Amino acid sequence: MKNILLILTVTLTSLPVLADDNQKIMDHHDPHEMNHGEMNHGPEHNHGSHEHPTENAKEDVMTMSVPAITTTDDISAALANGGAPVVVDVLGVVCDFCAVAMNKIFGKREEVSALYVDLDKKTLSLVVNKGASLSDQDIENLAKRAGYRIAAIRRDAEALGG
Amino acid sequence: MWAGVLGILLSASAFARPVSYTGGWTLIQTANRASTAGLLHYSVSHKVSVGVRHEWQRDDDVTLTVIQPTWLAKRWYGHNYQANVYLTGGLGTATDRSFAGLGSDTASFVGVMTDWETRTLFVSYEARFLEQGKLGNHSMHAARVGWAPYTGDTGELHTWLMLEVDHRKHFDNKTTVTPLLRFFKGPALFEAGYNVTDSAPMFNFTYRF
Repeated sequence: MKNILLILTVTLTSLPVLADDNQKIMDHHDPHEMNHGEMNHGPEHNHGSHEHPTENAKEDVMTMSVPAITTTDDISAALANGGAPVVVDVLGVVCDFCAVAMNKIFGKREEVSALYVDLDKKTLSLVVNKGASLSDQDIENLAKRAGYRIAAIRRDAEALGG
Repeated sequence: MWAGVLGILLSASAFARPVSYTGGWTLIQTANRASTAGLLHYSVSHKVSVGVRHEWQRDDDVTLTVIQPTWLAKRWYGHNYQANVYLTGGLGTATDRSFAGLGSDTASFVGVMTDWETRTLFVSYEARFLEQGKLGNHSMHAARVGWAPYTGDTGELHTWLMLEVDHRKHFDNKTTVTPLLRFFKGPALFEAGYNVTDSAPMFNFTYRF
């Protein structure tokens, strides 16, 4: 029985198709160093092909190649109050449990006035309170506590798609 | 009777992420052809959860109550997928509730769970090896494939069509097939299926808070 567990673990951890992606993340310490033009955001980034929930009047703001902040009523209000927009590309986000985890972890932070996890874009949109700061390292650590990794962080004009 | 009712209400499965976010609680309930059981666990970190599991093995009329730690041994993060390997174990007591009156004995198990998931495809495998002393030892293997006919966005209803194959060598029908539907919305996950080999329903529920 121990041998079965050992073999299974070793086999899965050495699968090259999975290890490649993981290695990219492990090697990537500064999110701002990522070249977004070369970044593979996957086929699900075609936002013209679906509708979003109307409850929060969510609206897409897209640039040519990287997703900008996802606006909801809460996010629009927080931005109107002078909050700073932040968009985080999150890896491994595939279901609502992922969204719940990040909502719980980031939602507890006083610096964060509004947030939204967008499964279609695979982004976490944040608005940081006016006068507060949330460093890239903070965001990386919080994502890790939620069980996820980040690929890139965009702020201010870049986060708004400018 | 109350043990049976509790068993029906509580149960645990590997197919719903057994480790949550740091500080998160999760209630996992399952009922399948072999048992009904439940796991309430707390994630001390994003890699480790500790919970209490209660399980009723209906064929033997044996109940199992254990402390169950689970370790996320490995997670792969992709732009469009997530894959996990979990190792789990349990230590506690098994009690014979049948007329045989065999009493109680120490129970322990080890298990492994793996899954790979995109927003439209799902594959998983789990195995558990249970030792209950004089109440018998059991092993279980189960694998699943799943497909989502559409990709729901955050907070929408996510629907999956799944097929599970399980193998339990202490059963007359050792290998059986269960088609099932999974519904997923926010912090709640519900599954309903029917074991076509053993003519038994399957109901699973997970809530994360």
